[in-house]
Amino acid sequence: MTSEELSRDEIALYDRQIRLWGIATQLRLRSARLLLINLGSVGMEAVKNLVLGGVNSIELMDNSTIKSEDYGAQFFLPKDDSKIGELKLPNVVDSIKELNDRVEININTKSFDTVIQGDPSYFKKFDLIIATEIQKPDTFKLNELTRELNLPLYIAGTHGMFGYIITDLIDNINETEKDMGNQPRKANTKLNLNKTIIKVESNESTNKELITIHDSYRPIKEIFSSKLLPEQLNKRQLKRLSPSLPLIFALFELQRVSDINAETLKSHALKACEELGVNPDIITDEYLKLFVDQGFTEFAPTSAILGGCLAQDIIQFLSKKESPINNVLIFDGLRSEMPIYTL
Amino acid sequence: MSKDLYLKKILGEERFSLIRGSTVLMVGAGGIGCELLKDLMLTGYGEIHIVDLDTITLSNLNRQFLFRQKDIDKSKALTVVKSVSKFNYFDSKLVPHHGNIMDTSMFPMSWWSQFDYIYNALDNLEARRYVNRMALYLKIPLMESGTTGYEGQVQPIYPYRSECFECQAKVTPTTYPVCTIRSTPSKPVHSITWAKEFLFQQLYDDSTSSATDAEESRKQLEKETDDSAEIEHMLRETNELNDLKSHIAGGADVFLPELVEKIFVRDIERLLEIESLWKHGGRPVPLDWSQLKPQLDSLLLTSTDLVDETKVQTPLENLYVLWKSGEKLVKRVVSGEPVVFDKDDEDTLDFVVAASNLRSHIFGIEVKSKFDIKQIAGNIIPAIATTNAIISGLSVMESLEYYKAKDSQAAFSNSSTVFVSIKPNKYLMGAGLVEQNSSCASCFKVARGVMELPETSGDLKLGELLEGLRQTYDYEDDHYEISIISGDSRLIYDIDFEDNIPCGLDELGIGIGSTLLIQVDEGDLQGLELYISKGKEFKLPQIQLRELPKTISEPEKSEAEVEKDGEVVFDDGVIEIEEIEEIEEIEDIRETATKLSSQEPPTKKQRL
Repeated sequence: MTSEELSRDEIALYDRQIRLWGIATQLRLRSARLLLINLGSVGMEAVKNLVLGGVNSIELMDNSTIKSEDYGAQFFLPKDDSKIGELKLPNVVDSIKELNDRVEININTKSFDTVIQGDPSYFKKFDLIIATEIQKPDTFKLNELTRELNLPLYIAGTHGMFGYIITDLIDNINETEKDMGNQPRKANTKLNLNKTIIKVESNESTNKELITIHDSYRPIKEIFSSKLLPEQLNKRQLKRLSPSLPLIFALFELQRVSDINAETLKSHALKACEELGVNPDIITDEYLKLFVDQGFTEFAPTSAILGGCLAQDIIQFLSKKESPINNVLIFDGLRSEMPIYTL
Repeated sequence: MSKDLYLKKILGEERFSLIRGSTVLMVGAGGIGCELLKDLMLTGYGEIHIVDLDTITLSNLNRQFLFRQKDIDKSKALTVVKSVSKFNYFDSKLVPHHGNIMDTSMFPMSWWSQFDYIYNALDNLEARRYVNRMALYLKIPLMESGTTGYEGQVQPIYPYRSECFECQAKVTPTTYPVCTIRSTPSKPVHSITWAKEFLFQQLYDDSTSSATDAEESRKQLEKETDDSAEIEHMLRETNELNDLKSHIAGGADVFLPELVEKIFVRDIERLLEIESLWKHGGRPVPLDWSQLKPQLDSLLLTSTDLVDETKVQTPLENLYVLWKSGEKLVKRVVSGEPVVFDKDDEDTLDFVVAASNLRSHIFGIEVKSKFDIKQIAGNIIPAIATTNAIISGLSVMESLEYYKAKDSQAAFSNSSTVFVSIKPNKYLMGAGLVEQNSSCASCFKVARGVMELPETSGDLKLGELLEGLRQTYDYEDDHYEISIISGDSRLIYDIDFEDNIPCGLDELGIGIGSTLLIQVDEGDLQGLELYISKGKEFKLPQIQLRELPKTISEPEKSEAEVEKDGEVVFDDGVIEIEEIEEIEEIEDIRETATKLSSQEPPTKKQRL
């Protein structure tokens, strides 16, 4: 894979996507080495999309065993009940490899704790880290490490019909081509708190502008105590804010158990509202019940939607084209909403 | 714990059991279909029918994750069902059908009526329209979906309640004036259109009749331009090309040099003589054939392989490709094989690529790579795994409201049309469903129903049908005169055309699977479209035809009307303050959506 060009076979296989993102992006994907921590339903969706897309390699790190409820949404599992209780990765890796034999798939069944406390140089093998379904302390530990090693990090997870993507890509410069608006775009314009246009090249003949955007990120620790939400939303938007944001933050505080205590969840959610600077009244009984029932559960349509966004954003990040998610995306399947907040 | 633990928690026991007992149809097993089938199965749907007429190709494999290299050329519908058996954890009953969804003998009305819900995963307008009509006939909820590159949308359709697929006009494909294509091209697409639609068709493709009457052609051209010199030139050009076609039988050695000399030298020289065409510049330069010919001859002696499809070729290289592909096409035509342009047929594609590039070269237009020309000539729509995954997930998610209530009123109020549209502050745009459009010819101005007829339709005379119609729908009492038009647009009956009254329906070419449109000649009563289905005896559906509003109001622009000061009145009467930009954004996006769903697929599928 050292060749600087795509082979004829690669162009034929990737035809429909090269027509969208170009050969340069396809080459960048081909050299990208990724690590995915925890292969649940949303992880499987993201991996499927990235393997089809043609990244260089993905290492899957997961030491869990197959549970019966995994069959609700994890489509790489073998249809064989006798596998319940066995390590998951050895049972799914062949199905993943089958998707695209140009992509290298490795598995690592060590525990998260072992790896994170071990030699940090392990992580240096990768260009990007994705971790799904992990709780707050592990998220912070991992993020400290990715900051130290200057590695982009995506965190994602789902709760039934709800889900999230949190990003710390540290620093990113990307180019986007847009149609010219009524007024020319200008350099040094802030698109939001973390996104700034740093360069604009206009092309009068095609009526397009090539915009260079600088995305700066903050450590995930700061996201959870961010006070920036009221700054970016108007009163009406704050009033209509989906309760799923504070409820998802609240679930980060709990153990991943099947029975969620409503009172505990509520008190964490109220605390999250206070921290975020939003009215605690948005936590309705309806939403509280939904999250008590659906917290930490997996649902195939949600995983498909969120895993699609996650893989797409990773592709955009790797291609250095189009500005990536900065920095919290929330999916609310009840309202069919997917806002992105800069926290 | 059990496998369906999460599903019961998320959907509730009652809704989950409705879904378990549900029989649904998925139309299309391609990009969206592969993803959608996975999501439907993992949500626990009891029985899923899968229809697709297509076979698998290499360029499908970057996103249609249920297919492998070894499956190429196999049926999508049959392969997909085998492939998903690996994760059919809830033992959904899967029924594949390799066929065209518009085939009425394979898929009669009785077959359609078994479905509780229809999920479209289609890539073309014609089939989408057809499924929409079937959903209207049977009042089955339909989920419409489509993707193009990074964009996509899902639209839940509740027949006669929300907007149907036809309530919003669809964008029609761009067409170019004949004169631009034939005389004064200025963009690569003009050269490509010339090579594909004019040159290739005239020379090789006998499936479309090119032998139109000379007078007819002249009349057509007169509509396009009043420059008589240009018209004469175009007519002569076509005639000569037709004459040249007869030389194909003489073999490539005779035919190809004549062809090049005519289309790239002589036709251009004569075109240059029409001064009026070049007032604003853009004069073409005929191909320097006398200089290129010897170079081509020596190049043909070597075995050149122009491998890289993404590189732009020189005129000489294009001539080489034209020659090589021309030789093969001539051989195929001589052997009696029917030849039509297909982007996946290398000979036809190479010929069109080379011919259009040579024309571009002559007219000083940018020359394109084979890769780029294939996209335009083959109508290729970029497609990626991620957008298809998102749209399929949304397709199932948005349909869940229906299973919650099994009541289309509640589902109507709680469902949304959703668009994937990536912005710094959001990834999706949702908009509440809109009521049916009062000017929609599909769901508002026409009522629909199923008429039953025994297989021996000859027993029923047109006169008896007329009698039945008048009685059932009170046409007579209300003094309406009716006319009947068959599905293939033939007039069967009206007040001035009563010849068919004694005929049996079979004599009139009407039988099971036919449709009839009944309209009132004057007045504002809804039309009635009847689909004829097999039954024990002649039976008309009980339908109350509505009076249409006297003046047809303009279609509502969207779910909200913008009023002064950014105050917005929503349909439910709630007044809210909203940024106007957001409403405009929804408008923009609705526009995109109509474009998305009207895109035509690659030529191969146009057979559909």
